[in-house]
Amino acid sequence: MTDVKLPFLAQGVEKATITYWHRDVGDSIKEGEDLVELATDKATFNLPSPVSGILKEVKASDGEEVRVGQIIAKIE
Amino acid sequence: MQDAAVPPWLKKRLVYDESMNTMKEALSASGVATVCEESLCPNLNECFSKKEITFLILGEFCTRSCGFCSVSNSPNLKHTPGVCFKGNMVDPDEPRKVADAVDRLSLKYVVITSVTRDDLDDGGAGQFVKVIESVRLVSKHVKIEVLVPDFKGTKSSIKKIAKASADVFGHNIETVRRLYPIARRGADYDRSLSVLRLVKELRQDQITKSSIMVGLGEEEQEVIQTMQNVRSAGCDILTIGQYLRPHKENLPVSRLVRPEEFERYVGIGYDFGFKHVSSGPFVRSSYFAQNIYESVMSLASTHKQRTLGTIFFIEKIGGY
Repeated sequence: MTDVKLPFLAQGVEKATITYWHRDVGDSIKEGEDLVELATDKATFNLPSPVSGILKEVKASDGEEVRVGQIIAKIE
Repeated sequence: MQDAAVPPWLKKRLVYDESMNTMKEALSASGVATVCEESLCPNLNECFSKKEITFLILGEFCTRSCGFCSVSNSPNLKHTPGVCFKGNMVDPDEPRKVADAVDRLSLKYVVITSVTRDDLDDGGAGQFVKVIESVRLVSKHVKIEVLVPDFKGTKSSIKKIAKASADVFGHNIETVRRLYPIARRGADYDRSLSVLRLVKELRQDQITKSSIMVGLGEEEQEVIQTMQNVRSAGCDILTIGQYLRPHKENLPVSRLVRPEEFERYVGIGYDFGFKHVSSGPFVRSSYFAQNIYESVMSLASTHKQRTLGTIFFIEKIGGY
């Protein structure tokens, strides 16, 4: 099981808002494919999956804020 | 729901990299500032994962208050346009600190920029030279790109920098002539062109570079005019990117420039004779700086340069 954490985005930016999950729980995903879209005040980001596998769990839904370093999904 | 207001080409792809923390720790241990962090750059995660950094020297506070910039101009009144802070000390240990960071991270290519220091007699040119010399002492092979302010057009300052023989001399025109009073108060369009022209006169083999932001209220024709002016000042490398507002106090984004327009600037730029043109939503003046420098150095024929520059541009767009 791989924990997907929100990486460092920018200085002073500690949170981002989840705007879109490209996959639902139970879907398969390949390493490097977009997993989730996030927004900060300045920009919108796509976070690719760090591994190939099945998306087992998402820790935050659309519109929810997540913090840098926080586990936002689990992939197996 | 996907945010319909953000077009697909403005969604930045993040990079997973555990070395990010090492990078931040090294920068913090050396006690240096980076413009990557101060400007809230959307490319930071990508660039840091490739060990590409732009150092910000001469203190945290700028004596100007450009409408697009997030660097503080006062210790108390952060991001307040129109208020300048004067008298912050130049750190005599800064050249060593930057060299220490270069050494710790084994950097092969560094970009050094600064806040504008209208309060200093030489505008900080002497400090730039000391930093360059200090970095060269720890690494003979490191390539150095400087991105300097206009030094209020002071020739002796520009001469100091030219004599320090940085591998690339950058000075950003930033925006079109008409928007200077709004976006670059305290700066002067013709003066910025003269900075680029002067350094080329002083050192003919100096590679020069400039950058334009789009989305500040300019029209395409004005961008083309600016490109032509910059090229006429002898500039070799041009970068063009989308302005994104760092704070709500900064100038609003007037428009989101489409990839087709960015691509048109690539073709026009090469027709004007630039040796390299990078143009795209997330292009910033130091973005892929090492690759650009290497492509300019290694390619002799105009045809080859054009092909490579365009491919570089498409690759950058492709991922978004």
